[in-house]
Amino acid sequence: MTNQEAKFILGVYRPSGADAGNATFGVALEHAKTDPALGAWFARDQAHAAAITAKLREIAPPAGLREAILAGGRLSAVPEQNRRSRLPAWLALAASVAVLATIGIKLWPNRAAAEEQRLALFAIDDAAHGRHGGHGTAAGALQSMLSLASTRLGGDLPVDFAALQSTGCRTLRVEGHDMIEVCFVRDGSEYHLYVVQRSDFPELPAKDGPIFTDREGMTVASWSDNQRHYIVASGKGRSALEHLL
Amino acid sequence: MSNEVFTQLVDAHYAPLYRFALSLARNSSDAGDLVQQTFFIWATKGQSLREAAKAKSWLFTTLYREFLRGRRRDARATSIEDLPPGEQDIAAEDVDRVARLDAATVMTALQSVDEVFRAPLTLFYLEDLSYQEIAEALDVPIGTIMSRLSRGKAQLRAVLAREESSARTKVVSFPIAKGGSQS
Repeated sequence: MTNQEAKFILGVYRPSGADAGNATFGVALEHAKTDPALGAWFARDQAHAAAITAKLREIAPPAGLREAILAGGRLSAVPEQNRRSRLPAWLALAASVAVLATIGIKLWPNRAAAEEQRLALFAIDDAAHGRHGGHGTAAGALQSMLSLASTRLGGDLPVDFAALQSTGCRTLRVEGHDMIEVCFVRDGSEYHLYVVQRSDFPELPAKDGPIFTDREGMTVASWSDNQRHYIVASGKGRSALEHLL
Repeated sequence: MSNEVFTQLVDAHYAPLYRFALSLARNSSDAGDLVQQTFFIWATKGQSLREAAKAKSWLFTTLYREFLRGRRRDARATSIEDLPPGEQDIAAEDVDRVARLDAATVMTALQSVDEVFRAPLTLFYLEDLSYQEIAEALDVPIGTIMSRLSRGKAQLRAVLAREESSARTKVVSFPIAKGGSQS
């Protein structure tokens, strides 16, 4: 092994010693012990890495991040009754067939409601923790429209999803899909509109009227049109939202 | 998954995940969002991962994938071939320099390293994952990770040297009054 090859390998050796048991490094480490130049290089490289590591560990996450994660995790966890059964596979399969045969298509609305609720809870968590800010020209136009007292929510809205994304509107990721968020003010109160594409969430219920969800002092109203699913969130209670619909 | 287990998972990993996210996203707000999104995915999907030992790798992998997804819309591909080879020589001065700089300056320097090097470099310095796990998390061959770490380290050393040099030139020197008299 040349010094150059040894440097290549030793360059990924963690100064903490966590790789001490990794046989990959054995020969290169022995080489560093017998070659003073390589040994000196290795000592400097390790000292440099340890110094960087120490500096990075000084960086503390922002206050409230831990609490926000824990709250979000509790809200977004799939309800126990929706989780897959722990029964043996064959028994679970047999049970599933029996249940499906009995209730047929009635299962579908429950899954749709669960999907709708997951999105509503995600919006509540996001709105409750103040991570807002719709930006861009398309978002500005939508904000203006939503702020008008004459604009009724609860039905179709002129939302150009692609335009909002491409002009810098705040975009979140939900279950691997995009959700856009636009804040707006109506009668002095702040509201947050979240929009997803129905095609990304095929289990969502068909076009339906507003459904309300209350959690953590926030209330959301959810509804769908043919292409999109909407959630509007407010900390002002259900009556404030009903006023918008 | 119980709340207690989820809390333990968050407590064990959210800080290094945030530091990794901060190096990628380059601002605290987006980094926080990335970490939350990662744990959200865990809460909704990742809990099916029964091996707790793999949770750490899964979280770093998921965070990196979420970062790439979010960035893809305005992504600009970096041609690795255009980047200079890594300089493996390291001087004692490089080590001393890091000790002199504050943590924020070091993070800023790390954030200015080319992205293709930044992700493996940050994961290496965080020391949570081995180089094999880093290769798996970033979905690149082990040899490529070694090469990128070597070149990334060289680039970081150069940036740190520039940062310190720049900081020195920003120091305002006050004239020393000769003779000690004051008017």
